[in-house]
Amino acid sequence: MHEFFLVKDLIRKITSLAHEQGASRVTGVIVKLGALSHISPDHFREHFIHASLGTVAEGARLNIEVLTDVTDPQSQEVLLENIEIYLAT
Amino acid sequence: MKNKTIKVDYLARVEGEGALYVKIKDNSLTDVKLKIFEPPRFFEAFLQGRNYSEAPDITARICGICPIAYQMSAVHAMEDAFGVTVDGQLRALRRLIYCGEWIESHALHVYMLHAPDFLGYTDAIQMAKDHPALVQRGLQLKKAGNEIVAFLGGREIHPINVRVGGFYKVPAKRELEPLAERLKWARDAALETVRWTATLDFPDFEQDYEFVALCHPGEYPFNEGRLVSNKGLDISVRDYDDSFVEEHVPYSNALHSIIKGRGAYFVGPLARYNLNFNRLSPMTQEAAHSAGLSYVCNNPFQSIIVRSVEILYACDEALRIIDQYERPDKPSVQVQPRAGTGYGCTEAPRGILYHRYSTDDNGVIIDAKIVPPTSQNQKTIENDLWQFIPKYLDLPSEKLTLQCEQAIRNYDPCISCATHFLKLYVNRE
Repeated sequence: MHEFFLVKDLIRKITSLAHEQGASRVTGVIVKLGALSHISPDHFREHFIHASLGTVAEGARLNIEVLTDVTDPQSQEVLLENIEIYLAT
Repeated sequence: MKNKTIKVDYLARVEGEGALYVKIKDNSLTDVKLKIFEPPRFFEAFLQGRNYSEAPDITARICGICPIAYQMSAVHAMEDAFGVTVDGQLRALRRLIYCGEWIESHALHVYMLHAPDFLGYTDAIQMAKDHPALVQRGLQLKKAGNEIVAFLGGREIHPINVRVGGFYKVPAKRELEPLAERLKWARDAALETVRWTATLDFPDFEQDYEFVALCHPGEYPFNEGRLVSNKGLDISVRDYDDSFVEEHVPYSNALHSIIKGRGAYFVGPLARYNLNFNRLSPMTQEAAHSAGLSYVCNNPFQSIIVRSVEILYACDEALRIIDQYERPDKPSVQVQPRAGTGYGCTEAPRGILYHRYSTDDNGVIIDAKIVPPTSQNQKTIENDLWQFIPKYLDLPSEKLTLQCEQAIRNYDPCISCATHFLKLYVNRE
């Protein structure tokens, strides 16, 4: 359930950003998993695929970087690094 | 048409918070309310109308930290309803996967959540700057537990290999050998953890608790036993509803569980330890005594030592099971659903986890009840705060918050954001 809320929060942010930019869909997402974030890349990916269904991020290419520095101030966090959007002009 | 990349740098945070409201009048504590805002999850309603075989996978989703406990309580309740007995090596494998969950959950709590309180850090990140080796040891211990769960469960979070009647697939003995090597390291690391936690400073705080845990005639409890307490409770799991009741309190989304006619009780590592010390393995008993623990521990702040003792036990027990393991002929026993009601209670890392299901002739779930350990401990947590806070009334709010967080964390409550979950509201009149 914790992961569900976490990924849902990310999707909400991605949807909001895409809307602000007038994007019809999100084609790529890059996230960083902190060393103490207690979520594995596979698990994150699975949740992301489910949570993005029916949203602008459905089918987006997901790039996950796993951080190893436990002393990093953001080591407990999941960081949405950037998103790649598709603009129909 | 064009593609565009947007730099975001957005931190995703988990929802779910708790807050503690403290009212102080004329320098006396007049009110304590622990509020949990975690939204209702409706799992009991989700289960209605689903097939009995889906219960282990659905309930595993309730918690990412202790999915095995949910699966084990679910399968035992269903087997109780259908008159199924799972024994021998299948039963042993259930203990093994439970060992994995205890190791990963306890290591997470001891090193990442509880230890920073004792060492004066706001969180594990701050602690890691001064004690990187400690944090790494905690992470590696957690990983050892996760590996057991991933190996037997199919994946480390929300595992999928557990079923009513046993497992979908069971390993060959040789496949367990790499796990055993890792667990030998983990057992040594757990022993070091017991020694290290024993050196921490503990507030002088003991209360007259009613401890409740499973009690099995021959083993430290995971999956089976009678429900007993240090104040005379001794019932079968089937009689749980006769002795325990959940109450709604208007200020919290979580129910408070009490013993009928008596009130608050205490579940979790301290309760298990106090009621089952003589069922720990010899090396674990010895380590506990060397750490200065007696047969009974009434100081909830020392739960960090007791959790470490349970990590050690879980490593030792896992190695014993692997050593004696022989692959069973079948990964599960046959299950024939029937109409009835089944009861299951197992020892989640945080304490007893009760499930009750009623099914129809085809094994479709008609009714489900789940009582997690955190709701069972909530009233005791509040009672602790009533006794604990008056000693620290003169502290500034920031320091009082840290003291209260530490007192609450003794129970390892399972609330999202448990590392920094508490908002303290002090009303001074």
